[in-house]
Amino acid sequence: MITVSGLTKRYGDRTVVDDVSFTLEPGTVTGFLGPNGAGKTTTMRMMTGLVPASAGVATVDGRSYGELPNPGAVVGTLLDASAVHPGRTGRTHLRLLASAVGVPAARVDEVLHQVGLADAARRRVGGYSLGMRQRLGIAGALLADPPVLMFDEPVNGLDPEGIRWMRDLLRGHAARGGTVLLSSHLLGEVEHTVDRLLVIGDGRIVADGSVTSLLGADGVAVRALQPRALAVALEAAGFHVEREDDGVLVVADASPAEVGAVAAAGGHVLVDLRPVQRGLEDLFFQLTTSPKGNLR
Amino acid sequence: MTTTLTSSAPPLGATVEVRRTGPSLPSLVGLEVRKSLSSRSGIAIAASAVVMGPSGLLLAALDAEFGWVAAPMGVVAMMTGLVLLALGVVSTAGEWTHGTVQTTYLLVPRRGLVLAAKSVAVALLGAALAAVSAALSLAVIAAVGVDYLNWDGWVQATVVTLAAGAVFAVIGAGIGAATANTTAALTVLYLFIMGVLPLVRVGKPELGDAVDPAHATMLLAQGMEETRSILILAGWVVVSSVAGWTLTHRRPVQ
Repeated sequence: MITVSGLTKRYGDRTVVDDVSFTLEPGTVTGFLGPNGAGKTTTMRMMTGLVPASAGVATVDGRSYGELPNPGAVVGTLLDASAVHPGRTGRTHLRLLASAVGVPAARVDEVLHQVGLADAARRRVGGYSLGMRQRLGIAGALLADPPVLMFDEPVNGLDPEGIRWMRDLLRGHAARGGTVLLSSHLLGEVEHTVDRLLVIGDGRIVADGSVTSLLGADGVAVRALQPRALAVALEAAGFHVEREDDGVLVVADASPAEVGAVAAAGGHVLVDLRPVQRGLEDLFFQLTTSPKGNLR
Repeated sequence: MTTTLTSSAPPLGATVEVRRTGPSLPSLVGLEVRKSLSSRSGIAIAASAVVMGPSGLLLAALDAEFGWVAAPMGVVAMMTGLVLLALGVVSTAGEWTHGTVQTTYLLVPRRGLVLAAKSVAVALLGAALAAVSAALSLAVIAAVGVDYLNWDGWVQATVVTLAAGAVFAVIGAGIGAATANTTAALTVLYLFIMGVLPLVRVGKPELGDAVDPAHATMLLAQGMEETRSILILAGWVVVSSVAGWTLTHRRPVQ
């Protein structure tokens, strides 16, 4: 389990990460969301000891990253896909990593095949596309098949097929009991991959919960043959109703069953009845543009 | 709410044989040697270090005569050492320039150990490359020197050439770690050693002679000012290594 407690980073008077705390459980994929400059990358770098924290601690199974006997065997990280020597081939790069982590050289060919880079293994990394570098970085993270994966914007540069592959990889890792922390600004991708969301804005965690709880139903949208009559009936039943231009009635703080019951009691014919869900994008902007927003 | 997923796939790490502990210093040294020789810049520096001395002697032989082996070997020791400065710089500053330091510290977070491994690795590489350069240079001197060459002191000159290869590479590694910028480190080092110090030696010879590592190497190879030369070179190694460690161990990797 990964525990982050009160992690803070200050540069002079500027606080870029402010008292960030969360835990990551095995078997889950956690999405780490926030606009550029919100503090995602700095938080992940503090968790791995690359950036010294001004305050707070981050531990993996009770030990700080630097105290792990062989960190690469416990945490597979991809923080910057461009952090590879452009003059080395993909295979050479991974063989160097394999030596440092302590896995057999044969494992390099396995992960190259796993990430779809077997054919490009002998090419210099300087000639790789961004997507290929992402895959190479992921291959490096997977060398030891570690229990924890920590990826910063891993789908940058990946094509749709690559994004789907990434999603399956991360879901599969969690299904095997692994812990995954995934930061991304591609909100749709995160929504379909993660179990849980951590939203960071201005260096603070502004939301922490399951996707379902954060994007839960926010009312009901209903269409009827006679919308005006149904609206009157719903208001008489104590519901607040908003009328949309296209004839849809949006009933706040109601469930489909409650609206259906009112319609049935009044003999109203419905042509559509569905819960209204907040989009992830709406939630994201609502939380990260409001300095006081906090749904924890 | 947390959802725990299970799968029939093999548990994590079950199919991969992984070392349980971090790499030892010897294995890190081996890794750093492989890193230095796995890029074109590293190979180019290594090749230059090997051929710089003997090719310089061949060019010098066009209008000069070699009578005493230790004299041209002193120049070879200095030239080879100056080339191998770059090997050390690239091994440390190059990692910051290319961003690969991130992966290095993610896998081995003990930065002091990493710097020590790099210093030992470039010292070994430097000495080995300087040994080849020294052997080729001796062959050149034997081939183009006067008929009755004076071989007095050739062993010391050869040993100093090897030592210079190691010492200058370690100095480069320390300064590279301190600056974290390949271009800056190389510019500062070469400008200072090949530009500023010779000028200082013209204006204030005592001061220049007291700090110039290139001049000290040349004198040491020829068996002159031995104690002072050793102290100067040792001072450079200590100062650069301490500077490298001090400035590296808490530097954020962005």
